[in-house]
Order: sequence, then C-alpha cells, then structure tokens
Amino acid sequence: MNWLKRRVRPEQIRELSLLVLILAAIVFFGSFIDNYYSFRTFNRIASSVAIITVVAVGQTLVVLTRNIDLSVGSIVGFTAYFVGTLIASHNGINPILAVAIAIALGAALGVVNGVIVAWGKVPAVVVTLGTLAIYRGVLVDLSGAKTVTTDSLPQWLIDLPLVNVAPIGSLDIRALFMLALVIVVAFQIGTTYLSFARRFYAIGSNPEAAQLIGLPIKSVVFLAFVICGALSGLAGFMLLARFGNITVEAGRGLELSVVAAVVVGGVNVFGGSGTVTGAMLGAVMIGTLEQSLFRLGISEFWLDAVLGLLILLAVASDAVILQRLRQLWGGAELKLLAKETDSVSSEQSASPP
Amino acid sequence: MSEGLGLADGAVVVAPILEIRGVAKRFDATQALEDVSLSLHAGEIHALLGENGAGKSTLIKIITGVHQPDSGQILLGGQPVTIRSAAEAQRLGVAAIYQEPLLFPDLNVAENIFISHQDRGAVVGWREMFREADKILAELGMTLDVRKPARGLTLAAQQSVEIAKAISLNVRVLIMDEPTASLSAHEVQELFKLVRDLKRQGVAILFVSHRMEEVFEIADKITVFRDGRLISTRTRLEATPQRAIADMVGREIDLTKARTSCAQKDVVLSVADLGRQGVFEGVSFDLHRGEVLGFAGLIGAGRTDVGLALFGIEPATSGRILLGGKPVTVRTARDGMSLGIAYVSEDRRQLGLVLPMSIFANITLPVLRRYLSRLGLVRTGLERRTADTFRDRLAIRTPSVDLEVAKLSGGNQQKVMLSKWLNTNPSVLILDEPTRGVDVGSKAEVHAIIGQLAAEGIGVIVISSDLPEVLVLSDRVLIMREGRQMAILDRAEANEETVMTAAMGQRSTDSIDGRPS
Ligand SMILES: Nc1ncnc2c1ncn2[C@@H]1O[C@H](COP(=O)(O)OP(=O)(O)OP(=O)(O)O)[C@@H](O)[C@H]1O
Ligand SMILES: [Mg+2]
Repeated sequence: MNWLKRRVRPEQIRELSLLVLILAAIVFFGSFIDNYYSFRTFNRIASSVAIITVVAVGQTLVVLTRNIDLSVGSIVGFTAYFVGTLIASHNGINPILAVAIAIALGAALGVVNGVIVAWGKVPAVVVTLGTLAIYRGVLVDLSGAKTVTTDSLPQWLIDLPLVNVAPIGSLDIRALFMLALVIVVAFQIGTTYLSFARRFYAIGSNPEAAQLIGLPIKSVVFLAFVICGALSGLAGFMLLARFGNITVEAGRGLELSVVAAVVVGGVNVFGGSGTVTGAMLGAVMIGTLEQSLFRLGISEFWLDAVLGLLILLAVASDAVILQRLRQLWGGAELKLLAKETDSVSSEQSASPP
Repeated sequence: MSEGLGLADGAVVVAPILEIRGVAKRFDATQALEDVSLSLHAGEIHALLGENGAGKSTLIKIITGVHQPDSGQILLGGQPVTIRSAAEAQRLGVAAIYQEPLLFPDLNVAENIFISHQDRGAVVGWREMFREADKILAELGMTLDVRKPARGLTLAAQQSVEIAKAISLNVRVLIMDEPTASLSAHEVQELFKLVRDLKRQGVAILFVSHRMEEVFEIADKITVFRDGRLISTRTRLEATPQRAIADMVGREIDLTKARTSCAQKDVVLSVADLGRQGVFEGVSFDLHRGEVLGFAGLIGAGRTDVGLALFGIEPATSGRILLGGKPVTVRTARDGMSLGIAYVSEDRRQLGLVLPMSIFANITLPVLRRYLSRLGLVRTGLERRTADTFRDRLAIRTPSVDLEVAKLSGGNQQKVMLSKWLNTNPSVLILDEPTRGVDVGSKAEVHAIIGQLAAEGIGVIVISSDLPEVLVLSDRVLIMREGRQMAILDRAEANEETVMTAAMGQRSTDSIDGRPS
C-alpha cells in the first residue's frame, strides 16, 4: 500500500480505474452484440474517438482554467463545411494548406470566444452558448443550406481515413486516430513540461492567488480558447475527411460528447486538475458507448441521456471518491529537520547572556 | 552594500531603495490609508505595527501593485514608478508574502515555491526543481514532501511554503505581512536567521507582526500606524514596546499578567490514548470545567490534529473520548457541534469563514435555527443585534455588520470567527491560534474573554504557537512533539524553558513529568 502511495497519485488511480471500466464495457457489449470483436468495430470506434479526442484536448485546457467552451460543435461544423466547400471548388489545393486553413478558421472562432470571456468578463457558459448558436446560424445562412458531397472532393481526401499508418498485426491504426494520438502525446508533454502551460493549472486551481502573484490570467484564458478553437478546426477537417458528405448540421451536439469525455476523463469541472490523457480515455469510453449503443439499435436520444447521466455520475463520484483517495493518500506533512533542531537547541542553550 | 550599515547610527544618509510619498487609499466608506510617507533603505529591516485594520496590508498591496493608490507616489531607486501588478513589482525587484497564504492546491509544493519565478526558462525541469525546493526548505530547517500537492497543508506548512517562495526570489525589497503568525518560537528563529542573511546582502525588508518581542528583536526601524495614518517612525534604539503600544492604541496594555484560575473539580472532557493513524498517538488528558488547557509544541507537532479529531473534522482512529463522563464517538464536525464542542480553526479561509457572506450571517451560521421566526424565515434584525454585540465586545473594526467578511482586515476576520463560535454556547471550546493576526489591544480583550468563558464553566483548550500567550492563559500546559504527548505541566512548573525543553524532545529537567505511562 505504501509502495503504491509513493508511486501513483490519486488522480492516476482515477485514470486507471477508467481504463478498467472501458475494458468492462467492451466485455459487456461483446457478450451480446454479434461480431463485436472485429476490426470493423475497432475502426469505427477509433475514428469516432479520434474526432472527440482532438476536441477534448482543447476543451481540457479550457476547463482547467475554470471555463467551458460549448461552441466546439458549431466550430467543428463550421470549419468542416467551409473547408469542404473550398476544397470542392479548388480540387487542386495543397492538402497541408487545407489543414492549415481549417486550423486557422477554428482558431479565429476561438479568438472571438476568448476575447469576450477574458476581457469582456462574461461567464464562459453564456458566451459560448451564444456563439454556439451564432456560428451555427452564420453557417446555415452563408451555406444556403447546400451540402458538401463526397463526389466533389479530391481522391486524397476520400482515401485519407483509410490510410493505415501503423499496422499492428492485423489491426490497423489509421491516419485520423494516429493524428489524435500524436496530439494527445504532444499536449500531455506540453502541459507537463512547459512553464507557460502550467499556468492553465495554476489559474484554475486558485484564481485569487494567480491574480495576486500577477499571473497573466486574461491571456492564459484567451490562449486556452484559441487552442480549443484551433483543435476544433482540425477536428472539423477530420470530420470532413471521415464523412465526405457535410451538411449544415455537421457536428451538432458534439459538445455533449466532448464535455462528457473531459469530465469522465477526470478533468475537474472546477478547474485546476486533470490531464489530456485522461480526457482521451474519457473519449474512448464515450466513443465505445456511442458505437455500441448504435450497434444495438438504440435511439440517438437515449444516447444523449446516457451521456448526460455519465457526466453527472463522473462529477458526483469525483466529489466523493477522489476526496476519499486524497484523504487516504494524505498530504505533504511538514517535519522539522532533526539535525537542525539539535544544533539550534545547543546553540540556544549556549547563547544566553 | 556597506552604506546600509551606516544607518544604524544615523550618520550616513543614503538614498532609499523604496520611497512612498503621501499615499492615500479609500475603500467605499473606509479611509484605509491617508497621506502615508515611508522610506526603506538597503540592508534595513523595517517593521510595521498597528491595530487590526490600521492599513498595513493595504500599504503592502499598494507597493506590490495589487491596489492602486488614490493619490501619492512610489519611488524605486529614486525613480517614480507606477506598479500595475504583482508581476511588474517583481520585475522591479519587489516581492511580498501576503497575510493569507495563497497556494495552488492542485500544484505540488515545489511548483508552488517556483511558480512566480520568471527566470526559470520555458521548460520545467522537475527533478532540479524538487531538489532546489528541498534545499530551500532545509535552509528554513524543515522538510516537506515537495512532490505532493499543496492541498490540505496545515497553516504553518502553508506559511513555510510562502516564506520559501519569497526568499528564493532574487529581490531588492522583500515584504512580509505577518509571516510568523502561525510559527512557534523555534521556526521564527530559523526565519530570522535567513532574514538577517538577506539583510547582510543588502535587501530591504518590510516586516509586519503583532508580536512585540519579534519586532523588537529583528527590526532596525519601527513604524506605527493608526487609523490609516502613520503615527511615528523610530529606530529600535529610540523605541520601546510601551511607546509603540501607546502609539498604536493610545493606552497601556499589560499582556503578561497571568489569569487567575477558576478550574472546578468535575471533568468535562476526558481523553484516553487518542490517536489518528500516522498523525498523532497516545494523547491523554482530563479537561475540567472552567479550566484552560494550553497546547504547546513546535509546528508539525500535531496539536491542530488533536483539535480536529476532538471536533470530528479528521476523526481519531484510536482511543476514547468521554464527554461529561459518557463515552462519545465523534466522526464528523456535526457530531462535534451537537455534543457541544466548538472548534475555532486556525485556518479562517478554508475552515472558518464564508468570505463572500456578511459578518452577521457568518456569526449566526452554526446556530441559524435560533434565528428563525415562526414562519421559518431568518430574522435578520436579531442576527444583526447579535453581531453588533460581538462587534462591540471584540472591537471588530467595520462600518457595518452587513459588510462582506472578505473586505475585513485579517485580524478583524479572526474576531468574526471567534464571535461565531462563542455564539454557540459550547461546553468545550477548542481555540486553535485564537489570536493569530490579532493586535495587542484586542489580544488582551480576547484573553479576557477566554477567562470569562472559563469562569462560566466552559472547558477551554487553547492551541497556540505563541508561547507567552499559552503561559499567560493556561491552568495547565500539554506539550506535544512529533505527534506524541511529551508532558503536562502545571502552571507552577510551566515556563518558557520547561515548555521549550519538552517541545524539543529533551526530557532532562526533573520538572517534566505528568507523562502518561
Ligand atoms: N478590498 C477591500 N474592500 C473594502 N475595504 C477594505 C478592503 N481591503 C481592506 N479594507 C479595509 O481597509 C482597512 C485597512 O485594512 P488592512 O487590511 O490594510 O488592515 P491591517 O492593518 O493589515 O490589519 P490586520 O492587522 O488586521 O491585518 C480595514 O478597515 C479594512 O476593512
Ligand atoms: Mg493585514
């Protein structure tokens, strides 16, 4: 037990138990869905997880700072549609440029969120609920409710989701999933080792202290929203690649899956703690559930209810379980240095005039 | 930086590092500062004294850019500056430890120490950071698991982290607002050693404390504030504690007169072999009606943990508690409250007060039921009357009891918390650092109230790192060290020497007995 306490933190136990829950869910669904353990299932889950994960990484940064971005679904739809239209009309466009445009477009929408939250001092829920509707509205209006169709897209884009980058045995790791993995690893390393990224944690952990020691709260919150927007833009591109057909409804409701992934992944809704790796595990859990319930033919509305329930369960259990674990682990105990104590006491006994 | 040394005899006049000219600051109805001018020289330790709410912390926050002055000027190295934020102050070489420790609970201890360092590069070198954090704490004579999150640290530990944070910065001006308020004499000495080192290196130090003996030990200059005005600045040689107190409150106060005992025969609380795994063990004592039992010891000795266990916030895992002769189990704070135990926490921010709520709502919170009208509505008029009584009794400095507690000065927040628990009419009152950050005048008042409560038959436990306070108040003193009970001394046997000896773990003198077998 003591060995365990030294090696792992309560938060890591939280992530490990989520992993166990995911495996349990897979075994559970596998027991009454035919052909569940197949590569097709894996690929389906993986490509839906990939998109949720990329957005969830951005959302994690926002939630760490005690904010939330509800507009991610609209940003994903917005970029998917407009980048799709752009590629459809310029089939020869450089793929890298297309991705860059998607990211830039997403970031620009994130800038709007970030400016209003950080400098306008409007609560993030209100701001992003507003932009959720506005971005979608603008999309519907500008598009004239037309659709991007697969046959208007160049071949490389249609093939992209099927590209197999790292075959492990007969299991495919496809390009989009790989991209999500790379992003998770990069952001995990970044949030652990980059000084400025540690501020996401500091600001959410104790805003008052952050203010008092002069951390640039506004720019950090702004940055979180811009990164979240940029990653949502990238996810929009991934969505385009995955489906080919993009309507003005694309990405609608995605915010629910993303917030569920982040919260189930152990990111504290009150800010300050959680990791992007946790958020990815959350996304895997959500993706598995979504695909499995879909295979069972359960209606989408029930799926939303399940997601909502998961969010509530995760928040409630965190309040209880994590608290318990932390108590069990105990905090840092202050000890006086034994040697120092002796030398001081001898000094004191020697010094009286 | 040899010029600094010339200051002591006043022969050499050098330009001050920091100069404040005619600063004023007003918060709504409160004139917190009025026309204050002060200068701070290299290698000088300058102490600020003043009653609660006199404006000391406000001045400090103006210097570090947290508040902007309404008028007046700040000069650094002779140049007028406008300091807009703490980060900017730090770039200019000015850093502060604020009165209330403000750590990041989710970050580990080491990161808390280094978070405001701006010169550590873009990449966090965790290993190196842990090592350096260990080193700085060792210089303070402490160890703390620097890899663990700061969540749940005791107040003394929080304050130590704050001190480590400040001394590790490379600054010209270091400001410390009551850094010693929850430290015991031993740790204060360690801190003073470091402060003297910094002074030798030419750092100018501004230091706030309500403990006279500390101020007169370390300060070169002493400035007294009253009602937002600067009353006097004297060198230590010119100043005396009596004069300083007279400047502060306008009357003489004697804090050294021991309370007359009023302990009765019957035992109200009996504790046998109480322990909490890994934290403390083997604590046994009887508390009589009307008795004041002092708890002494160094920081980390487990005194607060015993208090938390008796009240039920962090329940004991072994031993027995008898209340009025009957065995009781205390598992939660609710248990403690319903059994008539009151615990006044040392940590007023996390366990004591609801900062955004008004003074009166805080005071009546634990016994709100008493203030319900027949319709089940809260009778705020009655609440206000209760609060007003305490405001007069404890001299809480506020324009109105409707003010949010967050807007009170530190010492006045402490008084609100005391009022809150006194209002519950407990049979056992546990006071953890009851006068932390309370000024001398009110401290005498708090001591008088403690005496009064004891005379009414309440059993009182006073946990305090301020040894003179423990000695003046207590009928008996229980001394702890590293989670163990070392001795219980009668008033006749207890003095600074015998208590410190036991607290440091040397059982050499014959006067130390009473240790349970
Ligand atoms: N943010 C604020 N809003 C309103 N009033 C305030 C605020 N901060 C301080 N005050 C008031 O200004 C006065 C001076 O407060 P300050 O904190 O400077 O006192 P202090 O000398 O540090 O006292 P203590 O010894 O209790 O710490 C007090 O009356 C306090 O209530
Ligand atoms: Mg103060």
